[in-house]
Amino acid sequence: MESIEIGLVVSAGLLVMVILGMRVAFAAGLAGLTGLIWIFWAKKGYDPAQFMWALEVAVKTGGQVPHSKVASQALSLIPTFILIGYLAYYAGLTKALFTAAKRWIAWVPGGMAVATVFATAGFAAVSGASIATSAVFARIAIPEMLEVGYNKRFAAGVVAAGGTLASLIPPSAILVIYAIIVEQDVGKLLLAGFIPGVFSAIVYALLIIGMAMTIKGFGPSVGGFTWKERFAALPPAAPILIVVLTIVLFVYNPFGGEAWGTPTEGGAIGAFVVFLMALYNGMRWGEFKGALLETAKLAVMIFTIIWGVLIYVRFLGFADLPGAFSDWLTSLEMSPMLILVCILLAYAVLGMFMDAIGMMLLTLPVVYPAVMALNGGEMVSAADSTFGMSGPMCAIWFGILVVKMAEFCLITPPIGLNCFVVAGVRDDLTVQDVFRGVTPFFVADGITIALLVAFPSIVLWLPSLA
Amino acid sequence: TEWNVSLWGKRRAFTEHVEKLAELVSEKTGGEFTLNISYGGLSKNTENLDGIEIGAFEMAQFCAGYHPDKNPSITVMELPFLGISSLEQERDISMAVYEHPAVAADLARWNAKLLMPSPLPQYNLAGVGDVPSSIDNFDGLTVRATGGIGAALGAVGAVPTSMSATEVRQAMDSGVIRAASFAPHAHMSFGTIENATWWTSNLNPGAVNCPVVVNIDAYEALTDDERAALDGSVEEALDYYIEYYENETMAKWWPLLEEKGVEQVSFSDDEIAAFREAAAGPAADAWIEENNARGLPAQELYDLVSGMVAEGQ
Amino acid sequence: MAGSASVLEDDSILSRLDRNFYKLEKLLALVSGLTVFGLMLLAVFSVSSRNFFNDPLPGYVDWIQQAMPLIAFMGISFTQRDGGHIRMDMLVGRLSGRPLFIAEWITTFAILVLMVLLVWGSYAHFQRSFDMSMPLWSRDSTMDIGLPIWPAKLLAPVAFSVLCVRLVLQLASYTKAIITGETEPVAVPLPVDVATQAAQEAEQVSGHD
Ligand code: NA
Ligand code: NA
Repeated sequence: MESIEIGLVVSAGLLVMVILGMRVAFAAGLAGLTGLIWIFWAKKGYDPAQFMWALEVAVKTGGQVPHSKVASQALSLIPTFILIGYLAYYAGLTKALFTAAKRWIAWVPGGMAVATVFATAGFAAVSGASIATSAVFARIAIPEMLEVGYNKRFAAGVVAAGGTLASLIPPSAILVIYAIIVEQDVGKLLLAGFIPGVFSAIVYALLIIGMAMTIKGFGPSVGGFTWKERFAALPPAAPILIVVLTIVLFVYNPFGGEAWGTPTEGGAIGAFVVFLMALYNGMRWGEFKGALLETAKLAVMIFTIIWGVLIYVRFLGFADLPGAFSDWLTSLEMSPMLILVCILLAYAVLGMFMDAIGMMLLTLPVVYPAVMALNGGEMVSAADSTFGMSGPMCAIWFGILVVKMAEFCLITPPIGLNCFVVAGVRDDLTVQDVFRGVTPFFVADGITIALLVAFPSIVLWLPSLA
Repeated sequence: TEWNVSLWGKRRAFTEHVEKLAELVSEKTGGEFTLNISYGGLSKNTENLDGIEIGAFEMAQFCAGYHPDKNPSITVMELPFLGISSLEQERDISMAVYEHPAVAADLARWNAKLLMPSPLPQYNLAGVGDVPSSIDNFDGLTVRATGGIGAALGAVGAVPTSMSATEVRQAMDSGVIRAASFAPHAHMSFGTIENATWWTSNLNPGAVNCPVVVNIDAYEALTDDERAALDGSVEEALDYYIEYYENETMAKWWPLLEEKGVEQVSFSDDEIAAFREAAAGPAADAWIEENNARGLPAQELYDLVSGMVAEGQ
Repeated sequence: MAGSASVLEDDSILSRLDRNFYKLEKLLALVSGLTVFGLMLLAVFSVSSRNFFNDPLPGYVDWIQQAMPLIAFMGISFTQRDGGHIRMDMLVGRLSGRPLFIAEWITTFAILVLMVLLVWGSYAHFQRSFDMSMPLWSRDSTMDIGLPIWPAKLLAPVAFSVLCVRLVLQLASYTKAIITGETEPVAVPLPVDVATQAAQEAEQVSGHD
């Protein structure tokens, strides 16, 4: 059998294992290992005497992956950002933020849901990890939405979708990972995520308001807060602003002098400030230990998926599937814009079955150079380019599009991490419930992505100033 | 016979000899022996030697400095201020080192046979801010430089800082570091040259050594014709590589320096000599002592390299 | 991912083994959490020593690479015990009793096969970086300051072995349930029933803010 066919058969096997309910990380790892054994044995013509050789080479090749892929500086941001999320929760910051959003915004139709979206957007300026944001807001926002009579599936969907904002609005672990994979300027990419992130939040809010005005019994607006109450809600939420300012000042020194550190370090400094606030707000060892254990649990869950998927990716590498895909992509005779749209659609499909980081690690080495070539090369000027932007700008634009797609895949079934996390926090919700509740947001994300493709200046305006 | 070859990144000057080798080998054997090159699909670059030992692929490229303990013998080529002045010389000395029995034995621990080097030019510094007029100005200079080069710069008061290559540009733009040490192609691809105001044209602090190796069992399993085709293509592949690096990469480099208005700093011979004195001697002594402890004929290897450099001048 | 499933307990040997082993797993997970915290402190330390003392921490990246396996692997068994590794439950969610436990047995056994192979593979990865005859027993070192990598590489087979033990415990419990036909076996994550769900809900409302 051709190695590409082996690749396809094993991929089908992976899908079957996942649907049968095998835990995703291990299903991916097992599929990858099986595929490697198959490839190496095929190389020896399926000689029975060579099976043990194939097994040994496959196991040793797969056995490298967990340590080798996990021991990376880029991925160290993920646990740090998860820790920020839980520390902020124990410091009462997220609760204060939600209360402020509620008092100021909840009077609009669909008010509590809209308030949740803006609270998650605000928290996104501190948090760099989508799942941590969803995990924390599932505890705070869902009970309050249920209290005023929201459908519990929709309430869960709002939190799952709102969590994705954390990866567009800086800081963002996944944008840093993109920057590292494609070797682009991290600072400009982070800057570029800000407007699309806020834009996404507004589209979410408009969608909710539209639904509230057309669907009966959707959920009431919550008014009646006095201006005094509104302003009283601000000081407790203000520390979030301090954390944001710390990170921003750290990374983009506005005084014209030298910055104090890189975005990676900025994230850690942010976490440290939140830690001090949690201490100040009376966090004790028991709570701290709780935050650490939850951080460990979420981090290990993600890292297990990462290395599991990467064993599978390693197998795909030996099966030369990415090479075949790249050849196919560059042989297409379509307009570049249509090819770009096809790539984004392919991400939507792939994203159904993968986590965000696994998907980027799998595809970017192939897709990124192809997209840069479509635009006319890495060094092309805006005037000579296909999409009307210079090479570095195209890298930023495509990065934001990919990250938005990667975030989209966090809420699409069957494998959408944010939905799993929300269901995990709330015992009264199954994963299917959350997936059902989050479907309206597919429409919102579709609109957002279409607008980002059609009007690249939404993405590029801010970084072009820098 | 079909061999899998594990490289990383994308096709670039640094991989042209392997691409050329694949072309030549296939040509000479009438398509009987092919090299199937993968960029990053088969292994992480720091684990290419592991893949060779496992037998997952038959040929790979890696850099000695990625993991000194895996290949202590060839890190002799990465000592600071060896004084290697051209890609040709780097190639000749590398080949001589690779043929030394102790070096062959060191790599044989990984079931690997050294086939050819990937000669790189000197890792000169590009920096922002005040242009250094003498080596004394390096005092307090924050610079991204790893391994032996970092240690050497530290010896004259610079402050070496470690970070991943992709963060270097941002770190330099934001002032976290003021200079970075790379080969010219990396200064271009990581963008450090974009905002740089100066470049040290003759500091020549050293370079990394990145060999291409083959799995010994696979090499011995080749037919005589195939082996002859492989061995017989190395010279031509390296000729091609050097010509490509000099005529393609460096041809872009000089105009780029002009275009960006980057000042080319050159230091006087006396200054360079003083710097070497301060940095090279201690580094070499430390290397020799450390590798004697590993059971390597360290002095002999060092003498081989420095002897060939002296001859060349 | 607190309590997406609950693990029942009783006085049986199996349950006692489960609870004692859980203590070990929890300790390992706490090591992982503390390492995250340590990484954060390391960054603060590195940044301040660079900015205030012009003396950057040498090998900052190397230290991060050494710490990451602690974070990524040590809690793997803890998470498996509580059913925290994600999966699609649209099929298993509809099963109960014997058919459910047969399905669980099969997927758990598949994980065990994978993990046994990975203990082998990751141990071989460790072994290639380890040489008793070399200084610091090291045959592989980090890029910047040359730290030996073998201790970090050893963490993978160790954590994976702990997970293998956990999987054997779970298989034992499923096997027992399949044979005896019991519907609520101990020591394995079960879908939360309505009663415990209510109890947990009350706890959550009265809990942290
Ligand atoms: Na964020
Ligand atoms: Na998905």
